[in-house]
Amino acid sequence: MQHQATHTRHYIFTPAIRIFHWLRALSIFVLIITGFYLAWPFLVAPSSTDVLVQGWLRFAHIIFGFGLTAVTIARFYLFFFSRHDIERRSFKDVMSVSSWISQLKSYLWVGHLNKAGVYGPLQFVTYVAISIVALFICITGLVLYANVYHQGLGGALWEISAWITAQMGGLAYVRVIHHYLMWAFIIFVVIHVYMAVWSGIRFKHNSVDSIVSGYDYHKDH
Amino acid sequence: MDTHAALYAQGQQRLAYLRAIAPRQSVSLEQKMADNGITRRDFIKWSAAMTAMLALPLPFSNLVAEAAELADRVPLIWLHMAECTGCSESLIRTDSPNLDTLIFDHISLEYHETLMAASGWQAEENLEHALAQYKGRYLLAVEGAIPTANNGAFLTVGCKGHTGLQIVKEAAEGAAAIISVGTCAAFGGVQAAYPNPTGAKGVHEVVDKTVINLGGCPPSEKNIVGTLMYFIMFGKLPALDMFNRPKWAYGARVHDNCERRGRFDAGEFVETFGDQGAKDGYCLYKVGCKGPYTYNNCPTERFNHHTSWPVLAGHGCMGCSEPNFWDDMADFEKPLGRQLLHGIDATADTIGAVILGATVVGIGAHAVASVFAKPLED
Repeated sequence: MQHQATHTRHYIFTPAIRIFHWLRALSIFVLIITGFYLAWPFLVAPSSTDVLVQGWLRFAHIIFGFGLTAVTIARFYLFFFSRHDIERRSFKDVMSVSSWISQLKSYLWVGHLNKAGVYGPLQFVTYVAISIVALFICITGLVLYANVYHQGLGGALWEISAWITAQMGGLAYVRVIHHYLMWAFIIFVVIHVYMAVWSGIRFKHNSVDSIVSGYDYHKDH
Repeated sequence: MDTHAALYAQGQQRLAYLRAIAPRQSVSLEQKMADNGITRRDFIKWSAAMTAMLALPLPFSNLVAEAAELADRVPLIWLHMAECTGCSESLIRTDSPNLDTLIFDHISLEYHETLMAASGWQAEENLEHALAQYKGRYLLAVEGAIPTANNGAFLTVGCKGHTGLQIVKEAAEGAAAIISVGTCAAFGGVQAAYPNPTGAKGVHEVVDKTVINLGGCPPSEKNIVGTLMYFIMFGKLPALDMFNRPKWAYGARVHDNCERRGRFDAGEFVETFGDQGAKDGYCLYKVGCKGPYTYNNCPTERFNHHTSWPVLAGHGCMGCSEPNFWDDMADFEKPLGRQLLHGIDATADTIGAVILGATVVGIGAHAVASVFAKPLED
C-alpha cells in the first residue's frame, strides 16, 4: 500500500543551534537552582566540615556559568555568521508593521502566522532581549568570579572586572543586578515553553520537536 | 634594577630630603617612646609589622623606622567636614599610647580641630597660616563628607562661616597628597545615603586631584597610619584599587581572609543570632554578613590593638568601606538576596514570584480561551 505524504518537511534548525539550545536550557536550569542556594543557603549544614556543601554548589554554578557564557558567545557568532540565514531572515518581519499585526492577531486566535524566517517578530524581539540579558548576566557573573578567584582566568579578567565593578558602584550592586536578571530567565522560560507547545497545536506544525530533530512540517496545499 | 630596589632608592632619597628639613617637634620620637615606656625592641617590631602590612619586603623596615623618626618634618593638615569624628577616635582613643598613636602625635600636625588648643579666630588663622606656609608640600587629610547642595551651605565651619566645600577646595589646591579618612570623606558615607538632602559627596568628587580613599566607618588606625607612613617614606601615593583605596589595605575581600570562611564553604550558617550555630562560630552570611562584597583588611588587622573585629564579635560585616554602603548593603542583618527594594518594600524574589504568578495566570487564560477559539481553517 502506497501512502501519499500529506506534509512537506523543512529543515530549520542546524545541529549547532539545537545543541546550543539544550546546553543553554540545562545551564539555565542548574544555574537557577544553585543560584537560589547561593543567595539563601537553604540546605541544612552537613554533619562534617569536610563536606563543602556551599563549595560544591558554587562549583556547579561556576561550571554551568561558564557553559552559559560559552553558548552565549557561540550563539551571538552563529546568529551573525551562520551559513543558514533562517534566523537572520526574521529581521525582515521585525521591520514590517503588517507582520507584527498578523503575528499579534494570530496569537489572539485570528488568522495564520505568516513569517519570512523561522521566528515571528515578537518572538524574535523577545529572543534578542533574552540574549542581551544573557550577555549581562554572563558579564556580571564573570565579574563576581574574578573578584573571588584571582588566579588563571580570574586573574586575566581582573583589570576589566575591577573597572566594571567600579562603574557599577561596587560588588554588592553587581551581585544584586545578577540576581534581578535571573528572574528574566525564569519568566521567559515559562512563557517560552507555553508558546512553543501552543503554537504547535494551534498552527498544526512541528514546534517543540523541531528543536530536537531540526525539522518542521507543513501541510501540503 | 628591580622595582623593589628602585623603590628603596626612592625612599632613601626622600628620607635624605626630609632629614635636611628642620624638625617641627622639640622632642624626638626616641624620647617620646622612652617617656611612654616603649622600648627600642617594640619599635623595631612595629617597623617590621608595618613593613609587612604595606606589602613591602623586610629590608624596607629600616626605611619605615627612619620615616617614623622623620615624621615631624611632614606637615599634616587634618580637616573635619560633615562627620562624627569617629575616624579620629579610631586613631587616638586607644587604652594606652602605642606606636600608632605616638607617630600621629609626632607627625607635624599643623591643624586638627579635635586635637588643637586654639579656637575661634586663632584656629582660623592657624589654618590659613599652615596652608600658605607649607603650600605644595603638606599632606591633607579630610574626615567627613562634603555637602554640596545649596552651594555647600549645609556645612559652614569656623568664625568666618566658610562652607566645607570652599575650605576643602582651597586646601586641596596646595596639597602634596590628599587622603580621605573614612567612608564619608571617601564616598559620602551615611550622609550621602538616599535621599541625600545635603548633596553630600566624597572629597574626590569635589576636587580635581587624585585622592586616596580610606574606606571604613571607621578605618582601622593601621590603615590610617600606614597610609601616612607610605607618604612620608616615599613622597608619593601607594598603588590604588578600583575605588582609589590603597591595595595593601583593601586588596582582598573581608570574606577572603575571614576566620569563618571554612564554615561558609561547608554550608554551616547561623540562622538566627544566639542559636547553636552562632555559639559554634558558624558563618554569618544568612544573618547579613556583607564580607563577600567588601574590600578591607579587618580580618587580619582587626581593631583596637588587633583585639577584635565585627565578625569575631559575632555580627556580620556591614560593608562600611564600600561606596554607598548604607543603601547598597541594607538590610545589615539580611543577605542581599533578601534586600527590600526602595519604595516597594518587597524583595526581588517576591516581585519576581508575583510577576511569575501573573504570567502563569495569563498563560492559563490564553490556554483556556484557545480551547474555545474557532479552529484555524486550513
